[in-house]
Amino acid sequence: MIDWTSWLDYGFMRNALLAVLIITPLFGLLGTMIVNKKMAYFSDALGHSALTGIAVGIVFGMQETTISMVIFAVLFALLLNKISSSNMASTDTIISVFSSCSVAIGLAILSAGGNFSKYSAILVGDILSITETEILYLTVIFVMTVLFWIFGFNYLNAICIHRTVAKSKQIPVKLMDNLFAVLVALIVMLSIKWVGILIINALLILPAASARNISSNMREYHLFSLIFSVFSGVVGLIVSYYTNVATGPMIVILASVIYFATYIYGRKMK
Amino acid sequence: MKNKYVFVALMLVVILAVSFGFTNIYVSHTQAEQDEEFVVVTSFYPMYIAAMNVIGETEGVTLKNLSEPQTGCLHDFQLTPADMKLLSTADVFIINGGGIESFMEEIAAQYPDLVIIEACDGIELLCDEHEHEHEEENAYDEESPHAGHDHGNLNAHAWMSVELYRKQISNIADGLAQADEVNSASYLANQKLYDGKLSELQQLQEEIRQLFAENNEVVLLHCAYDYLALDYKLDVAYCMDLDEERQVSAGEVAEVIEVVEHHGVKYIFAEELYAKDMCNLIQKEVDVEVIYLDPLTRGEYTVDSYLKAMRKNIDCMKSAITN
Repeated sequence: MIDWTSWLDYGFMRNALLAVLIITPLFGLLGTMIVNKKMAYFSDALGHSALTGIAVGIVFGMQETTISMVIFAVLFALLLNKISSSNMASTDTIISVFSSCSVAIGLAILSAGGNFSKYSAILVGDILSITETEILYLTVIFVMTVLFWIFGFNYLNAICIHRTVAKSKQIPVKLMDNLFAVLVALIVMLSIKWVGILIINALLILPAASARNISSNMREYHLFSLIFSVFSGVVGLIVSYYTNVATGPMIVILASVIYFATYIYGRKMK
Repeated sequence: MKNKYVFVALMLVVILAVSFGFTNIYVSHTQAEQDEEFVVVTSFYPMYIAAMNVIGETEGVTLKNLSEPQTGCLHDFQLTPADMKLLSTADVFIINGGGIESFMEEIAAQYPDLVIIEACDGIELLCDEHEHEHEEENAYDEESPHAGHDHGNLNAHAWMSVELYRKQISNIADGLAQADEVNSASYLANQKLYDGKLSELQQLQEEIRQLFAENNEVVLLHCAYDYLALDYKLDVAYCMDLDEERQVSAGEVAEVIEVVEHHGVKYIFAEELYAKDMCNLIQKEVDVEVIYLDPLTRGEYTVDSYLKAMRKNIDCMKSAITN
């Protein structure tokens, strides 16, 4: 038998648990709106822009690349919003162009001198990289998000259901859109180091998508999304600790299992 | 209607049970016997082989390696929670140093009491500066030995030079003798024994050095071979670090070819795994001998692995030159 509590003896695992407990509810919460607004591709692009953020930070000689990552991602998100609202081409084309462009710039800078392997950690994520300061940031964002949700969710939902009607009801559509994008950017950037660029989007999308499979109203949608997100986060963390697998992928595997199960169940329900 | 909730609860319980069940099976299969011994952990392959020789048959000492077998070079190595666990049981951690263990800062922060032996201690490392013009003159960072990120242009592959490897071995032996005084005699005796074998190896090298005497300009496709060049007193015309994740640009291939032609370089040292395609390309363009050498970043985990691999390298060079 294994000792199921031994993982709590380590400082880094306690940090990781704390981070998971803060971040997964946020993923669940934001995910519901991302799925509703069909922004999955947007958040994916945002995740990829982390590479560029790091590269920019390194070019400017910053020690703490988290800051450059966050700044870059926020600008990136706002820019994406701005351009896709001007309706020049379809949104997914624009996002794709921006995403690949920023990844290319990031890769070009980071691979200069053949040193990309130094940064490959960020692709799969590294649970050990969570520091106390980052948890502090996460807590701040957690509070911000909850406040935003309490005061802004109805607006967001209205915009999502019908943009023009929302506008006519004096809802600040653009502002809400931008705030939401900035929030997503902040959360993605602060968790990307331990979740990994390649799969961070799955964490945002999967719990909400699973919840959508089986819920019949907004309240259920949120509830299930939160439960699935926290569940896969905590279980994934513990399993990854004992089996020596990277944490991000483990969480995503569990979340995908939940998705498939709810998908099958949801189809039966109809 | 409410059986939806039943379903969710059931699903979560099943997933929980299955994943913990499998984890349990996995862990009980892999759980190694953990005795209250003196535990020495090494950072990667060459250090493991070195420590293996120093520790030898010493009783009550367990030697473990961080990266799993065959993972190769440390550049792209990520510490896993299991590694951190292993380090938490360790008494001594042997690292190569010179910045190759990019995760050292984390470890030093997590385990302030861990005794760390740096094999490169006191060894003057080369710099990786063949590719670039001397942008920074302060590449030798004597004043900041622990600043991990500044090590970008320090070439840490010192084990490739037998001369320096001997120094590493003596550093490791001294460090172990200090940390584990009970067994210090045994460590030092083993070190002497191994040192003898290494000095035999050096005599073999001497032979090659003379063979190289006429054509002593080489192109290196792996920075580890800088230290071979040091041993054999070769002139490095060009060095490019090719490894797992390196993408070579067309311009760089052209540059290598140009250097080979311009300097009349006869030999290229390369690692077969990563440089084979490129070398074939180069050989099509210019008449040059490619010698594939082992950079000793992975291999068999046996006591004589280093000696064997080095001898093989020497044989490769010899047959290439005498042909």
